[in-house]
Amino acid sequence: MYRYDEFDEQMVRDRVAQFRGQVERRLSGELDEDHFKPLRLQNGVYLQMHAYMLRIAIPYGQLSSKQMRTLADVGEKYDKGYGHFTTRQNIQFNWIALKDIPTVLEELANVEMHAIQTSGNCIRNVTTDQFAGATAEEIEDPRPWCEIIRQWSTFHPEFAHLPRKFKIAVTAAETDRAAIRVHDIGLHMKHNAAGEVGFEIIVGGGLGRTPIVGTTVKDWVAKDDILDWLEAIMRVYNLHGRRDNKYKARIKILVTELTPEVFTKQVDAEFEAQRDEEKVRLPQEEVDRISDYFKAPAFETLPATSAAYEEAKANDEGFAKWTETNLSAHKVDGYTSVTVSLKPLNVAPGDATSAQMRVLADIAKAYSFDDLRVTHIQNIVLPHIKLDELYNVYLALDDAGLGADNVDLASDLICCPGLDYCNLANARSIPVAMEIQNMFSKYDRDLGKLHINISGCINACGHHHVGNIGILGVDKKGEEFYQITFGGRADEKARIGDIQGPGLRQEEVTPALERVAQKYLEIRQNSDEKFISTLERLGAEPFKEALYADS
Amino acid sequence: MSSVRPKLKPATPKVVTAWDASNGFTTYRTPSGDWTQNVAEAEVLTHEAADEALEAAKKDQTRATDPYLMEVTEDGKVTGRETLRESIRAEGPTCHPNYGRQAEVN
Repeated sequence: MYRYDEFDEQMVRDRVAQFRGQVERRLSGELDEDHFKPLRLQNGVYLQMHAYMLRIAIPYGQLSSKQMRTLADVGEKYDKGYGHFTTRQNIQFNWIALKDIPTVLEELANVEMHAIQTSGNCIRNVTTDQFAGATAEEIEDPRPWCEIIRQWSTFHPEFAHLPRKFKIAVTAAETDRAAIRVHDIGLHMKHNAAGEVGFEIIVGGGLGRTPIVGTTVKDWVAKDDILDWLEAIMRVYNLHGRRDNKYKARIKILVTELTPEVFTKQVDAEFEAQRDEEKVRLPQEEVDRISDYFKAPAFETLPATSAAYEEAKANDEGFAKWTETNLSAHKVDGYTSVTVSLKPLNVAPGDATSAQMRVLADIAKAYSFDDLRVTHIQNIVLPHIKLDELYNVYLALDDAGLGADNVDLASDLICCPGLDYCNLANARSIPVAMEIQNMFSKYDRDLGKLHINISGCINACGHHHVGNIGILGVDKKGEEFYQITFGGRADEKARIGDIQGPGLRQEEVTPALERVAQKYLEIRQNSDEKFISTLERLGAEPFKEALYADS
Repeated sequence: MSSVRPKLKPATPKVVTAWDASNGFTTYRTPSGDWTQNVAEAEVLTHEAADEALEAAKKDQTRATDPYLMEVTEDGKVTGRETLRESIRAEGPTCHPNYGRQAEVN
């Protein structure tokens, strides 16, 4: 993975020292909250329902074991012994005292981490496919380009005060696990007709109160030109994006209002107008230098199958079942990628205790080339596990309460913190998620792959618009109601779900979803037909009838 | 201000609530002008007295962040349109009974 050079190191250290001074001035009264707020937000510090919350950047979701151990330490020393992995592949701590935050940032800087680009109207942490560098599906590893974009965007003086926050996601696989079509910019690495690798650029996707699937503005651009294209897009947005209304300030609104055609013409004109000295021409040796950090680890030459693995499956039913859901194909024979579910029953989705983080760090160090990934589904990936050693990994995970065998099933839901933690939320998400998980647990594998996403307000941190079943918490005169959408998806066939009708009271949600599940079991063609496929084949009507059958 | 809350009628009983500037905990203004994490110890006010207390709280920058008026019953219990939100602020997350003030009380 990428290692800081002396410039990165100095930049992060300086930022910590600067923020320490700002915190001291806030606590002494020299700075009032109105002046301090924009400063703290630039350092990932929010003020939530119960305490300050610190959001820490995990660039493109990748962590070393040392970094994961430091996060565990932060959780234990300065928080309540746990952290919450987010849908932006970051982590947040919900109970951090302001006075401690500079010291926390210092400890993070010791392991090349920070909280920059996790808040404010800047280009946020770049995200990518959690299986980058491990999956055979990708045409090349997207992480070097994520890192290049991170370096280009961090503290970019021209884009430090954008109309609104800006999110970029990158994938190099046809199967989109990074939800690139619902980001401000989605980059899809692909070949052109000549077989060269470049980028498809998708702009103007997003969720929130105006959910939109992005539009392809460039079918293919060369790697050499990608930063110039990004710069051209950012300039058009920075110049014309609305600053008068925060709800209309995202690039998706600009693209929609201008039309994608006009927006693209403006971007083309901006690109053409760039003078030679403005062009960001990365020397090939710099691209190579960064790419070197992401070189494949020293994989062994192994047979595609493993006798130890097969034997363990035959002898341990729990392990066998877990392998059905939590493994993904690896590009190298004899290896697999493990998704560790952070969705066991009765735990807030995405939460991990400090003890669990240490177990994950130990496993990564011992078995996965010191490599961990955070997924936007709020799970953790161990990307490179030998099949021969998989059973040991499973036993260690299971022993730590990390053996949930539900990846991609109905209980593997995305859930924002909701009203239990978030100052912006209108309704609770976590208790609803837990209740749904408990209900669906009795169906086990019967329902197959089904993505349920829950948000506690229209800001859509829980990605409800792109859940096969989406749940949005709303406040009606002080009472929580939940609006249901069907048919959303965040993958390469991205689609915004359709609202089905009036919101349900909290106590009605789980029974209603159970009726929907039963309807699916009744009308699907066979057990191979996923919920979303049945829905797309038959339309929402039968499911809607089931949803409101008790109303 | 991070918290724009519903406007309350002058006669509605209310307390001044904020976030502790140091640790971010939910806090309430007491009759002495101090701050407490226990809503039961907060000063219940109406009319101009409530507005004056809020103005005083806004000047108490080193201790309180983003103060606002919150509806309570005459005997100081959380009530009104924002009961759920304010109960969660007062007690802690409903999904984590071990955290927040509820953990200390129980």
